[in-house]
Order: sequence, then C-alpha cells, then structure tokens
Amino acid sequence: MNEFEDANKVELEAYGALRTVIDPELAVNIIDLGLIYEISYSVTEGIHVLMTLSSKGCPMGDVIMDAMRTVLNEKIPGVKVNIELTWVPAWTTDRVTANGKKELGLI
Amino acid sequence: MNLNGTKKAPPANVVLPHYAFAAISFFVLCVLIFLSSSSFLGHYFDPRLLSITHLAALGWISMIIFGALYQLIPVILLAELFSNSLARITFFLFAVSLVLFGFCFWNFYLGWPFILSASLLLLSILFFAVNVYFTGSRSANQEIAADFILAGSCWLLVTAVLGLLMSINLTHPFLSAEHLTYLKLHAHTGFGGWILMIIMGVGSKLIPMFMLSSGGETKDLRIAFYFINGALLGFFTDVLFSHSFDRGIIYFLIALLSVILFMKFIVQTYKKRARKKLDLGLKQTISAILLLLLPVSIGTLVNIGVYKGTSFHLNLSTAYITSILIGFVSLMIIGQTYKTLPFIVWLHKFGALAGKEKTPLPKDLYNESIANAHFLIFMLAYPIFLSGILLSQLLLLKIGSGLLILVALLYNINVFRIISYPVIKKNHHE
Repeated sequence: MNEFEDANKVELEAYGALRTVIDPELAVNIIDLGLIYEISYSVTEGIHVLMTLSSKGCPMGDVIMDAMRTVLNEKIPGVKVNIELTWVPAWTTDRVTANGKKELGLI
Repeated sequence: MNLNGTKKAPPANVVLPHYAFAAISFFVLCVLIFLSSSSFLGHYFDPRLLSITHLAALGWISMIIFGALYQLIPVILLAELFSNSLARITFFLFAVSLVLFGFCFWNFYLGWPFILSASLLLLSILFFAVNVYFTGSRSANQEIAADFILAGSCWLLVTAVLGLLMSINLTHPFLSAEHLTYLKLHAHTGFGGWILMIIMGVGSKLIPMFMLSSGGETKDLRIAFYFINGALLGFFTDVLFSHSFDRGIIYFLIALLSVILFMKFIVQTYKKRARKKLDLGLKQTISAILLLLLPVSIGTLVNIGVYKGTSFHLNLSTAYITSILIGFVSLMIIGQTYKTLPFIVWLHKFGALAGKEKTPLPKDLYNESIANAHFLIFMLAYPIFLSGILLSQLLLLKIGSGLLILVALLYNINVFRIISYPVIKKNHHE
C-alpha cells in the first residue's frame, strides 16, 4: 500500500470516528451537522481536522473538541491529532447533510 | 486561543446552589401568594405583597440570574469569572440576608434586623457587581450582550441602594419626598434596569444560539440598549429632583420602543432559525416573550392614567407588576432553566466522558412529561390569577395561585432531579 492509500485510509477512519461524536445540545452528530470542513493526514503531521461550530462561544464547543480527540486517539492510536477551529466560512444550514436536516426538522 | 466558554466556566458547586435556592423560593413564593391572595385586591403598599414581590424579584428571579450569569458570562464575555470565591460568598450572604429580610418584611418588623438585612443584601449585590465588572474588564468582547449585563448590574446596585435608604426611612424618616415616590423609582430601576436588561442581553445571545439562527439586527439591540437606559436615567433624575411623575408616560414610551425593538430581534431570530423543532425550553421562552405583551398593554393603561383615582387603577398597578414577575419573567426563567441547568449538570457529570462512552444527553436529565405538564398548568394558572386581580375576584385568585403551587412543585421535582442525576459508571469488562 502506498503513502497516498495510507492517507486515504486514515482519513476515512477519522471520518467514521468523528461520526460518533454527537453535539449534546442538538443530538446530531458533527459530520451531519456540517461542522467538519476538512480532514487530512500525513505521516509527519498526523491527522489535521479543520472545523467550525454553529456559533462563536458555543457552550458545547470544548466538549465536542475533547470528544473528537478522544475518539480519534482511540480509533487511530499513535497518530498525532490536530484540531483547528475556524470561523471562515461561517457555519450555515447549507452545510447540514440530508440526514442532519431531517433530525433538525429542516426537511 | 480558546473561543469557547466551557473551560472558562466556574465549578458546578458555584452555580448549582443558586438554581436550588431559586427553585425552593419559587415554591415558597407560590404558597405565600395562595395564602395571601386577598392582599392582591388592596393597595400594593402592603407588607405581604411587598414580601412576595421581594421574594419573587430576589429569591427566585435574581438568585437564578446570578447563578446562570456565573455560567454564561464566560460564554458571553469569553472571559473567566473574576472570582469563584467571591461568587460563593455572594451566594451565602445574599441567601441569609434575604431570609432575614423576608421574615422582617412579612411581619412588618422594621427594627434594626430589617435595616441590617437590607444592608447585607446591598453588600452581596455589591460583591456580585464587582465580580461582573472585573470579569467584563478582562474581556475584549464588544458585543451588545456584554453592555446589557454590565449596565444591568449597575442598575441592580442602584436599586439596592434605594432599597436600603427606604428601609432606613421607614423607621427614621429622612428622605425629602413621599416614601411611595422612592418605591416607584426602586421598582422601575429593579424591573426595567436589572431584570429586563439582563433578559434582553442574555436573550439576545442565547436565543439565536439555541435556535441555530443568525439572529436579528444587532443595530436594533444597540438602539434598544440606549432607549431603555435613556428612559431609566431620564425617569430617575426627573422624579428624584422634581418628585413628580407627570412626564412618566414619555419615559414609558421610550422604554416601550426598546422592548418593541427587542421583540423585533426575537421575531427575526425565530424566522431565520435552522432548528425548526423547538424543544420545551425554547417553547416556554417564546411563550414568555409573547406574554410580554400583557405587561406592555397593562403598563400603557397605568401610565396613561385613564383609570387614575379609581380602585381599578390599583388593580391595574398590581396586575402590571404581577404580569412582569409572575407572567413574563417567571415563564422565561422556567424555560431557560431547561436550556441551562441540564447543560451545566451534564457538563459537570458527563462532559469528560463524551467520546469515551455512551452518555445521556442533557435533555435526558429531566422528565419531559412533568415539564410539559407544568407548562400547560402555568398557561392556565397565570391568566386565571391575572383575571382575579383585574376583576377583584378572590376565588379566581385562589384557583390561579393553587395551580401555581402545582407548577412550582412539578418544576422543583425536575430541578432537583437534574441536580441529583446519578453518574452510573459503565463497567468496561462487561
């Protein structure tokens, strides 16, 4: 397996792991909420997750990010995890998946 | 940089006693309302009515606002609370002095214990204001919500100073104007300056957050902030120096514009919300904001003075205060309890387990059927009680207040269920 396939595999594993992290206030997982902008992996840098929150100062923000670290360390042990929070672009409901929209009552 | 407030929040033992004390106060308040229903048919300067008003404004409303603000200030101001120890001291001082104050007021015992309790209340409020001020000074947040909280705390301090002066004046008269003049100032700075301002500030931040909405126009909130403060300052200085309420209607209308702008902001927030299915906490919050139309309407009638000189004017005045404290503010607090308390307890008991094992969600910490039941009973009890005041019908007052006791009882069951929710450790070997 080459380095590219390795990266793809880890990114997919990370994606699957993050699907188990629930926003406790909304009871919807963070992937379906569209909070994750990008997941990338390299041998030297480890897993890098670029994410946002539904609002600045979101009371659940720290809990969500801690839970993300926990599940990533558990599912992909020995790999460095770096979570980067961004407000650009700002989160909108356009980022919510069809499943998430259903759970939020949007459709 | 940590842009979230959770890690800046104080320990749960700083916040939770406020919720517990407030819930018990709400129950005691409803029992006292039931026992003294006939007082609601007379003049508002009545020891029983004044005790009930203070228990509502301080023991129930202010106590829960203090607790909630200690938790929410890190979220709103993005700064750590200045002092957790000061918050603990404030709680004990406020609670003890309030019990003494309430006892003295109820029995109209106006000796030194009454003045002492009013002094201690002022001291505890000063501690709270100091804590908020120094927390605010650490914050670079320029949001309007922060301005509302800081200004609201200043108005609370003004209210408490006036309260102490009046408590001394009752036994050693020294104030130049009639006691009722200061009572009206005290009431307006307390309701408009403290309670309303905090609701507008905190609501402008939390309601869009909970509804997943981009919110309304911040410009409207800023204008609302200047209007309400301008109205209060104008009213305060005018009455203080002229001892006249002749221009009261002008200040009332300016304050009304402020309330209308806040309601406009909430309507826009509601329309833009991504979260279409509102949970019970939000339903109660929105209902409370709709109930704000009642004090607005009754207050307009009181201030225009169409019934001045008649006994109905007194009924209207009592109904005005009741519609603020028991109607709008109480339902708002009940609703926001379900948005904040489960989150605080969940964070304390399960936050560290998130991602490691399956945990209950904040909404699982209370019984939703009980919460639904007391919401429906409240929506029945409150109009009955208010009609009792307006129609001078003791039977309606008794039925309404009896139902309010049931509301408070069910609310207390859920509050203490949330606070005492057990942490069941999962056995990983199973």
